[in-house]
Amino acid sequence: MKNILIAFGVVITVVLLFVAVSTAETPKKITIINSGKAGGSFNARTQMYKEGLTAAGYDVQYENVGKISQAVKMFKASDDPTIMVYANNQVYKQDLFHTENNFIIAEYQQPLYICRTNTSKDKTGNLTVAHGKGYDSKLLTKILGNNITLVPYKNSGAMLKGMLGGDVDMMINNQGKSFKYIASGKGSCRPSEVLPMMVATVIGTNVDLREIRKVIFDITMDIQFVEYHTSRKLTRPTGTWENELVIVQTLEKGYAVK
Amino acid sequence: MNELIAVSTGLLAGTITGIVPGAGVMVAMIVASPLLMSFDVLQLLLFYMSLASMVQFTGTIPAVYLGIPGETNSLPAVIEGTKFNKRKMAKLAIGICAIGSVLGSLVAVVITYGLLSVLIEHMTVFFSNATKFYLYLFIIAFCLLVYNKKNVLVNLSLCAVGFMLSVPGESDISSDLRYTFGMDDLQFGIPLIPVLIGFLIVPTIAKMFGSSNPNAFLPNIDISFCKVVKYFKKKLIASSLRGGLIGYICGFVPGVSTVLSTNASYSFEKKLHPNNPGKLLVASETANNSGQFASMLPLLLIGIPITGSEIVLYSMLVDAGWSPYQFDNVTNNADMLFKQIVPWFVFANIVGLIVAWPLARKILNLFANSKKYMIAILAVGMLLLNTYLGILDYRVWLYTVCLIVFSCIGLLIKKYETVPLVFMFILGNDMEGVFIRQMLI
Repeated sequence: MKNILIAFGVVITVVLLFVAVSTAETPKKITIINSGKAGGSFNARTQMYKEGLTAAGYDVQYENVGKISQAVKMFKASDDPTIMVYANNQVYKQDLFHTENNFIIAEYQQPLYICRTNTSKDKTGNLTVAHGKGYDSKLLTKILGNNITLVPYKNSGAMLKGMLGGDVDMMINNQGKSFKYIASGKGSCRPSEVLPMMVATVIGTNVDLREIRKVIFDITMDIQFVEYHTSRKLTRPTGTWENELVIVQTLEKGYAVK
Repeated sequence: MNELIAVSTGLLAGTITGIVPGAGVMVAMIVASPLLMSFDVLQLLLFYMSLASMVQFTGTIPAVYLGIPGETNSLPAVIEGTKFNKRKMAKLAIGICAIGSVLGSLVAVVITYGLLSVLIEHMTVFFSNATKFYLYLFIIAFCLLVYNKKNVLVNLSLCAVGFMLSVPGESDISSDLRYTFGMDDLQFGIPLIPVLIGFLIVPTIAKMFGSSNPNAFLPNIDISFCKVVKYFKKKLIASSLRGGLIGYICGFVPGVSTVLSTNASYSFEKKLHPNNPGKLLVASETANNSGQFASMLPLLLIGIPITGSEIVLYSMLVDAGWSPYQFDNVTNNADMLFKQIVPWFVFANIVGLIVAWPLARKILNLFANSKKYMIAILAVGMLLLNTYLGILDYRVWLYTVCLIVFSCIGLLIKKYETVPLVFMFILGNDMEGVFIRQMLI
């Protein structure tokens, strides 16, 4: 009898252990693609999401691509749960638009700024205007008038350098670089109400968008992310998933290549 | 700890690079790229500083013993060093060169410290498109007039090929893709590593394979280090300081930098002391080190690379997140230079003085005894490196095809210096943008 009880106890223990192991949560796998270079905002945000997802119990696979075009290619081809940091100013160039099938969250938005040097304030003739190489030159001419010469630069940093070096009278640049220019004391900047607003987003594929949105939202409320947004004076569009998607889709049309 | 790792690996790489004839700082940077990809900005700078300093120390060894210049700036060391070797005084030559190198570095640091506020005050001048425009004109002129025995036609052809290779993908002023022939992988342009391996390393390996020197490793008279120091203090200090000053000024000249430093200092000293190999050797080697430090300043302070190896470093720094163009980084960069780099630079030079001499001699012996194996290891290593970096960049096939094509061309043109081609390939896109903007402004 004693032996039967012992055997029964062992069987019960083994069964309970088996049930416990089989019902224990295995960490969900997710791939996060880094589409930005070190030092850039895409890269910084991806790192923070990676850390946040790991802390939230995900088994994160990190793909350090570093180039947006390559990252988009990988994102489109992925069959696994994958997320990626993205922005609405890339959609036409990369041919990847925000839709109800990939949109997760609108993280922050920022306007483009128009900056002008102190030395050019009294200038009345032809003005030279620095702009990023991807900008729509027709739109810029429409806003600033015909009496300008557009000077294309590789990126926002090169534009700021050119402005400080005295290459041009004006520049159209992002918020971060415009703040730096203001800090130099060499000119002033104002946010443009006409130029399209940039919205930084997170997109995903092969994932439950609503479920991952909750996780991503919690990560963005973490102190690290709050500090990131506050120090750069980045505002976030608040609203429901549907509202945010509508805002992003509307604003991305401003970047259509004409 | 991270800094120590960067400096140590830089010193080791510099020791090996210096004693491998024909291999230079640029080749070492490419070979070490898998390691460097994990380095941050400061580590990259420390690695480069240590590497470049150590190469100056150990580069004298093949020049003196084998009569082969490590790089074009070792030519005075070849001419004067071999005179020492023939008199069985090679150890003395290497000793005075090492001391001169340390002195040259110190001279450069002191001058920089004195001039830094002036440099920073006028730094925004370097930001303007016009400055870059004239700098690039200068670089092009140097590429045409300095390399390949001043054969302008050859240099022009090399420049043209380099520029054409830089064209596919996005340009500096437009996001439109060009000359990609429908290939997705070409959107990002022709990859850098196969170009560097094909046009720089493969011809170098081919040259190394063909070189031999029966007079190498003649038995030498042993001489203590104290005696070398004493001799230096008594006879060579003035030449060394002169060389340091000339080398520093010439170090700022884009494209030729330390080559000009050593040769200008050598020529000046030759006018003063035409028959004194010791003074000539020390003047040029001191100039080499002070010029090396000076050549780093445009890159460190404002992010403008002026030598081939700095261009490779620059692309790695940008990948690691460096933003040298931002105006508020000028003072940050200066701060970083004196607080975080200069102490390690001095350390690297002292280690170079103490360690490089005996260590390099041993490695040189190893290389001389098993040259073919070493070359085979280098060649296989380059192939693996190219494949590895191609996989990391998700463009392994393009890397492989480019490597094969460029290596074949590199072998065909191995008798030419391909630096103009590499210069134009790396800077071509930026140059195009600068030239177009200059026309618009």
